[in-house]
Amino acid sequence: MEEWIGGIWDRWITQTARRDHPAAAVHLKDIEKTLGVIFRALGGDAGLRVAAAADRHHGARRTMLQRIAGTQERAAHAALDMETLRLPPSIAVFPAPTFNRDLYVWLAALAAGAGPTFLQAAHATHASDWIVRNQQATQLALQRYPGLLPRYRRLVDALLAERFAPEAMPADEAAQESAIRQALAEPGSVSTLPPLTRAKAKALQPVPLWLYPAPPVAGTTRKNNQPNEAEGNEQPQEQQALNKRYEAERTEMPENEAPLILMFRAESIFSWAEYLKVNRALDDDPNPDAGRAAENMDKLTLAENDQRVASKVRFDLDLPAAAEDDITLGPGIPLPEWDWKRRTMKADFCRLQPMVAREAEPQPLPERLRRHARKLKNQFAALAPVRRWQKAQPDGSELDIDACVRIAADRMAGWHFSGAGAYLNHRPTERDLACLVLADLSLSTDAHVNNEQRVIDVIRDSLMLFGEALNSTGDQFAFYGFSSLKRSFVRFHEIKAFDRPLDSVARGRIAALKPGYYTRIGAAVRRATQLLDKVPANRRLLLILSDGKPHDIDLYEGRYGIEDTRMALIEAREAGIKPFCVTIDKEGAGYLPHLFGPAGYTIVRKPEELPDRLPLLYAQLTGNA
Amino acid sequence: MSDLPFYEASGNEIDLFEHAHRNHLPVLIKGPTGVGKTRFVAYMAAKLNLPLYTVACHDDLTAADLVGRHLIGDGATYWSDGPLTRAVREGGICYLDEVVEARKDTTVVIHPLADHRRVLPIDRTGEVLHAPDNFMLVVSYNPGYQNFLKGMKPSTRQRFLALRFDFPASDREETILRGETGCDEMTAKRLVNIGHSLRALKDVDLEEVASTRLLVYAAILIRDGMDPIEACRAALVEALTDDLEVAAALNEVVLATFGK
Repeated sequence: MEEWIGGIWDRWITQTARRDHPAAAVHLKDIEKTLGVIFRALGGDAGLRVAAAADRHHGARRTMLQRIAGTQERAAHAALDMETLRLPPSIAVFPAPTFNRDLYVWLAALAAGAGPTFLQAAHATHASDWIVRNQQATQLALQRYPGLLPRYRRLVDALLAERFAPEAMPADEAAQESAIRQALAEPGSVSTLPPLTRAKAKALQPVPLWLYPAPPVAGTTRKNNQPNEAEGNEQPQEQQALNKRYEAERTEMPENEAPLILMFRAESIFSWAEYLKVNRALDDDPNPDAGRAAENMDKLTLAENDQRVASKVRFDLDLPAAAEDDITLGPGIPLPEWDWKRRTMKADFCRLQPMVAREAEPQPLPERLRRHARKLKNQFAALAPVRRWQKAQPDGSELDIDACVRIAADRMAGWHFSGAGAYLNHRPTERDLACLVLADLSLSTDAHVNNEQRVIDVIRDSLMLFGEALNSTGDQFAFYGFSSLKRSFVRFHEIKAFDRPLDSVARGRIAALKPGYYTRIGAAVRRATQLLDKVPANRRLLLILSDGKPHDIDLYEGRYGIEDTRMALIEAREAGIKPFCVTIDKEGAGYLPHLFGPAGYTIVRKPEELPDRLPLLYAQLTGNA
Repeated sequence: MSDLPFYEASGNEIDLFEHAHRNHLPVLIKGPTGVGKTRFVAYMAAKLNLPLYTVACHDDLTAADLVGRHLIGDGATYWSDGPLTRAVREGGICYLDEVVEARKDTTVVIHPLADHRRVLPIDRTGEVLHAPDNFMLVVSYNPGYQNFLKGMKPSTRQRFLALRFDFPASDREETILRGETGCDEMTAKRLVNIGHSLRALKDVDLEEVASTRLLVYAAILIRDGMDPIEACRAALVEALTDDLEVAAALNEVVLATFGK
């Protein structure tokens, strides 16, 4: 009973105390894509991604009711750093949804104009600088895009109506509030933020129209200057369920000579807001509750160290027993590798092992993909070789009137007809195209792209749908997957060979794809080149689906891996094959031009769009053939 | 020369074209759509006082279409010159637009004309035409990654002087808009600003970006009294994308410039 009443009270007081307008809320996820385009169009860095910002304590004045309800003490602020534009997950500041949407657009425009200089300066200094910077950014945005001015005015007027008036505040807070109001009304007119004089003074109310400094990665010195980043794996705080960014500060990894002796009194731990790693020297198990805990914390403190937790080690050892592993086909194929330092091709340096999945039950196309597949089939039927009338054929079902007239006229003019045909023939035009898809199955494809799907799931769906699309074009195609474990064991999975139909067996193999091991692309490309070379086709396309840089645990990483891959691709081009890379690696733009040339790759920024994009891309690549 | 078409130079292309013409060298112009390739050729033809024979190449265009054919007249046949033959006979600029689209057999007639021989053999009539001094061959194409199957063969490409056209710099584009449409300075500035913003989206959000031609269309609509935002929506936003979310964003860019 007590709990029940408590619950009702809590709901009532929370609702009543709200000063925002939840009914008018606009959510970031609904307009994320649009905002990203606006941000880039207005001059923002195309490499940045838009993400939701985390709530932060603002410590500002609240109404009596809010204090009773214990709400509204946190707010999400817009911020910009080198990798992300963070925007509040939803905005409900104004009673009208159009205003809230306008606020999102304004923040994107402001961030686009502010650029990285904003954050550098804001990192370094304090509130006074923050107020000046925001005014400058506002001025810049309004100057470059004068059309924003009416919208800005509307937003400022509406915002001032929502804020606590300075008249109702103590003098020092009122001075600050007045300065903010002045700065909003006339950007560029305020040069300092008056300081708060009393110890109990409340902090400034959040200014939703402005950017906030990215949560400072300040704090004590960092132990290593080079963070030892795990290969291609996401930083943990980015992988959390809500995809929010947490306020993080770096601290030194507490070095503890004797981990079993508590260095502090256990009773003194009051709250979660302590180190997550409470001196439990390198715990093996990731804390399953860490995500929830992180959400409840105000600040995550990250301790950096270069010792890897056991989970990192695990997959180096997980080579399955031969009886469990996929079936190997043949003794393996020796392949060369390029050593860029010595500038030599090391003959027979790698051994590539063709294999097929052991437990691949034949299966039909999954129900959830059927509709999409049907649509793709119809679209791709247009690419299929259509029957067309071919002119001036030596033989055919109809006379080519145009050619006949021409021949007759030529003959009358005394010029002798020499071989051009006079018939129309109705027959399919040849596309004569072969495509081999090489999918990266390395362990990094085990990473999640969203709550439901991992990269490998996206790859599976892509292959399923792409197969259906290719089938209806009539082009020859093959699917292979690859991963590697050092040079002696490059795993090359046969999914669908050129001479096999796309049937339930092939689909079963697609469904049985598992992530594992590393990415030795060079050897896989060389093998794919050999396979494509045997196919009788005029044009050959090698489509590589990748999620990251070339990498293996021996020397195959960094420049070595990239240069070997580059050499393998050059060989492919010399063999008359067009390589094209589709990657979901957001940093791909850094090395892909070097490998594939400016027109030889595309980066799919949202991996979940890959199943849609892939067939489209193929149509673009091979259309009007 | 009052009927000189409007053209605003971006660099030394006029100079280079004149040198090429004096020295009987063929010219290849490459660049994205709508940046003024065709306009440049028209301008140069007028400036050099040469007739211009433009052929828009398509994938069914054969050598015979360029050279000519016999036609049947009243009980007899007569030979009808194609555009290329006419240009060679009479002198002038023959401009093959989007030359990579044409069928492969066109190279047979292009190659001997494009190198030092400057001849056009016409097998149907047995003639070998020598190009006069004022004949010039100009071809253009739009290099894009969308279609890797079509490109120019090196043997063709290496017979031409090559000029690259790209989107004009802001102040030049403003001059173009004003010269082309007579719109006011502020409109030109704003349209160029929008164009600039949209071009930042190339290959990330948009496949093809706003060409100068589209900006000119928008400027024409605005000068004609249309609401700038509506004009931009028709000429720019909807012309560039079918994706609703991207269109919404492009619209915001227009709003951010013209305001409401």
